[in-house]
Amino acid sequence: MSTQHSKAAKQFLKNQTYAHWHDATFWAVRSKRDNMAYGLDEWEQLREKASAIKRHTITHLDEYLDQFATAAEKNGVEVHWAKDAQEFNEIVYGILKSHNVKKMVKSKSMLTEECEMNPYLEERGIEVVETDLGERIIQLKGQKPSHIVMPAIHLNHDDVGELFEEKGISNEKGNHDPTYLTYRARLSLRNEFLTADAGMTGGNFGIAETGDIVVCTNEGNADMSTSCPKLHIAAIGLEKVIPNYECLAVFQRMLCRAGTGQPTTTYTSHFRKARPTAHHMHIILVDNGRSDWIANPEHWESLKCIRCGSCMNTCPVYRRSGGYSYSYFIPGPIGINLGMLRDPQKHSGNVSACTLCLSCQTVCPVKLNLGDQIYQWRQQLDDFGTANPQKKLMCRAMSMLYGSPGLYNFATGLAHWANYIPSPIMNCGLNPWADGHKMMEFPKKPFHELIKDIEH
Amino acid sequence: MASKEDILKKYRSNIREQFDMPDLSDIQAVTYPNPLLQFMNMTKSVGGNAIEVEAGRDINELIRELFPDAKEIASNLPEITIATRNPDEVGRARDLNGTDVGIIRGSFGVAENACVWIPQTMKEKAVCFISENLIILLPKSQIVNNMHEAYLRIEFNDYGYGTFISGPSKTADIAQVLVMGAQAARSATVLLLPE
Repeated sequence: MSTQHSKAAKQFLKNQTYAHWHDATFWAVRSKRDNMAYGLDEWEQLREKASAIKRHTITHLDEYLDQFATAAEKNGVEVHWAKDAQEFNEIVYGILKSHNVKKMVKSKSMLTEECEMNPYLEERGIEVVETDLGERIIQLKGQKPSHIVMPAIHLNHDDVGELFEEKGISNEKGNHDPTYLTYRARLSLRNEFLTADAGMTGGNFGIAETGDIVVCTNEGNADMSTSCPKLHIAAIGLEKVIPNYECLAVFQRMLCRAGTGQPTTTYTSHFRKARPTAHHMHIILVDNGRSDWIANPEHWESLKCIRCGSCMNTCPVYRRSGGYSYSYFIPGPIGINLGMLRDPQKHSGNVSACTLCLSCQTVCPVKLNLGDQIYQWRQQLDDFGTANPQKKLMCRAMSMLYGSPGLYNFATGLAHWANYIPSPIMNCGLNPWADGHKMMEFPKKPFHELIKDIEH
Repeated sequence: MASKEDILKKYRSNIREQFDMPDLSDIQAVTYPNPLLQFMNMTKSVGGNAIEVEAGRDINELIRELFPDAKEIASNLPEITIATRNPDEVGRARDLNGTDVGIIRGSFGVAENACVWIPQTMKEKAVCFISENLIILLPKSQIVNNMHEAYLRIEFNDYGYGTFISGPSKTADIAQVLVMGAQAARSATVLLLPE
């Protein structure tokens, strides 16, 4: 009866020391977020506004995209449109090839993960260097991100230290101090920035009125990626476009407070034109399913997401199971929903990774109804052919039991006899309830009889 | 290849219900009795350094005192006489690598989060990031309360680039330990200048 998620989570939980650290670390981030939110009287008002702006924007997105592209072209930027991942990868490769690019540095972009761009380019002989420290670590390790904002959170400083020794990035064997390791990575990446032929960034926002691509980073790697190489390509999903600066102010104030509990990222950079000494800038707008998702009556609001990561930081299941327990590349509540929009057959196993506590939608800066949507997905599993047959059978039995008072009273009256079944039989692998906790003890008198005694 | 029209047409036809733009004029954003003080405190809390410069103080001398060991100093600001490199005149952006101190000008600061608006005013913006230590010159009268006010004020020139900078480059990507100096400036100092 275990889902793919719970099986994977079991692996994660084998290392209890790490699992506790993971849980505590994200709870600390959640607490930092709370300090930021409570520090602003207008926080809830901002959430209301952010939600309403997004609802408006994504239901008028065709108009804003047109305005954005027109403004960007007026700035001298070449705007490309990709209907899916394949087309996106082809466009990127085409641009790089036409400039004879051998090496490209890039800042963090979940879109390029979504489109699996790096392997596509590497197969064609282009070296891609991730420059966000966390992304660089997992790239060197040959792994995928386990969190959208803290991609290497599944590794500790010893893991990173050993990796850097192996890759020749650090030269003091056994020095696994994070400050030292960060400095060694800085030197190594500095060399990459200086020798790359192109720089790619994602974008946190596209501004329809001005054509700006806005990128928020703490490391400054998006700015480094675009300051030395002669070519800048920016790639964003359609839903990243917002109307104007007035709206941007709302999101800029919330993104980092919600995501990492900081008042702002160190850098909030606006790219409107290429550098005077560079080739002209390219922006690629990627659909890859988004124009289908907007039609989904229950799930279109997933397009409101600004990828701050706060829903996974607060999620009790994410905190205790880690990013790799989910089958979609984005974990946590938003990843469950986006995975189901992408391919419900493949990602149904994730919808069980939710206690419906709704903490996610309580912290979400754009008031995305993440938990409600997960509940909705569960109702549709039978339609997708991914409902668990055992659970279906149990549900049928339960509706029969709870639908008939006579049968219910009869069953609860007899239940205490189950207490006499020897523990090894009751708590064996055949009883899914006994997995992870002991079988409960049934009271001798069921509740209905107890309450009658009190009333008399 | 899909055209813009195909994608937009498909998106448009799939929208089921439309919502109005909310009124944003009633946002009751935080303001401070002393925005300058708030800005200075925030700068410190994000790992930066904010110094109020007294009237008549020699800026070049002050920078020398702050970074006595600096060999390569990059700036295109006319009042900076100690610069050894000029981001307007380098052949390639990468020639700015190895800069110990980069000195740039900010237009205004934001009290709520210590952001300083830096429009590109040099040929190679690399100086803002590649320098080991960054110094931002900012008139101390130019502090706004919050980002709503900030976005009403930002201006672009022909370079078509601008950034808000709040403190030094930082990361916590290794085991969530906060380290200053990831890929860009390892320290950031805002010199608050008198009128």
